[in-house]
Amino acid sequence: MPAVFTVDPRSGIPLYLQLIDQVKRAVALGTLSAGEQLPTVKALAVELTVNPNTVARAYRELERDRVIETSPGRGSFVRSDGTPAQLRRAATDVGEATLGDAIRAVRALGLTESEVRTLFERVLARWYSGDDDA
Amino acid sequence: MNAISIRTLSKRYGEQLAVADLTLEVGTGSICALLGPNGAGKSTTFKCLLGLARPTAGSVEVEGAPVSAATFQSLGYVPERSTLYDWMTVREHRTLARRLYHTFDAARFDELCATFKLDSRKRVKRLSKGQRTALALALAFAIRPRIFVLDEPASGLDPIFQRVALDLMIDAAAGGATILFSSHQIGQVERAADRVAILKNGRLVLDGNVDELKGERKVVEAIFEADAVSPNGLARDPRVSRIERTGRILRAYVNNDAPGVAREVETLGPRAVTTYDLSLEDIFLNAVADGEHPNAASVGTSQGEV
Repeated sequence: MPAVFTVDPRSGIPLYLQLIDQVKRAVALGTLSAGEQLPTVKALAVELTVNPNTVARAYRELERDRVIETSPGRGSFVRSDGTPAQLRRAATDVGEATLGDAIRAVRALGLTESEVRTLFERVLARWYSGDDDA
Repeated sequence: MNAISIRTLSKRYGEQLAVADLTLEVGTGSICALLGPNGAGKSTTFKCLLGLARPTAGSVEVEGAPVSAATFQSLGYVPERSTLYDWMTVREHRTLARRLYHTFDAARFDELCATFKLDSRKRVKRLSKGQRTALALALAFAIRPRIFVLDEPASGLDPIFQRVALDLMIDAAAGGATILFSSHQIGQVERAADRVAILKNGRLVLDGNVDELKGERKVVEAIFEADAVSPNGLARDPRVSRIERTGRILRAYVNNDAPGVAREVETLGPRAVTTYDLSLEDIFLNAVADGEHPNAASVGTSQGEV
């Protein structure tokens, strides 16, 4: 099982959400590839020392989000019909959450929307060269 | 059918109400942590649940039936104070358990003793507090019960063996067992439990799924240019459990719908508003904080665990 997830039970963020985020990240980054098997609920609960129902809930939601599929008796797998577009969506989901956190933090500093927009453009230019076709 | 049903349970010792009108249902396969300050009524609840104390009012059921001798064939109990026999060795406890429980798995017991590094020749009176806890856990888990009631299962264990105890609980729950346990180790609770029930002065002050609570309980903090304004209706808002004002800072402890409360706070014209997550420890401390539940304040005067 190449993918190792890390969760922080002390965090105020629900554990199942942390797990969902980790799996989506792994799929988006390709550390979990299409068709790859995930650990069983029991194995992952024991490995991470977290409640099995919490792991089961994360798997259920990942299934609902069409990131993984579970076939009875065989286990859970990263969806093999995972097209580049779906991978892209997993990345977009994680990206949106990450940017959301950043904007929440910036807004908490009392900056206005236009100030944040200016700041965002400036930081964006530092990381992207601007030749992206999207 | 729930694995454990506690319905409107009250237990009075003389003038003192140790448990007051407690209702708690624990579903099969769940790990439920019973939390509370010392003297909150946790051990009394366990004793009533196991038929070791007679409820003053209310009822308890295990797997849909009143507690009887037969209940104990499918139930593993680790009490707060050891019920081991001082003069008996670890091995003699193994022999006794084999006679008492037809599901007792001696090989499993030996395995657990090895994990906990218990010397089978030692008498209980020569075991440390942690070793006694380990022996009680080894006996309970070797019965392979469907239901566990564990009163302070980490008591006296070092961090390595605490993790072993946690692994045993998680492994058992993954196999379908139900666990009700009490603990002061919040780190243990937030890993193992999917559900917490918090007692204060014998009353249930909070009961919920751990992830739901973390998702809903937030602190909305607003910083104002001048002194924080009076929060008007917010203090009576059912979504808000408590408001704190210190100088330019206003903090609202939110039970649910933090985004909605944050929008409400925005209308007060603050300079900035932030929403903070709360750890389970914060949630616990807020739940047992003085003044949160005025009804509970007059109930029970106990200092120690009853």
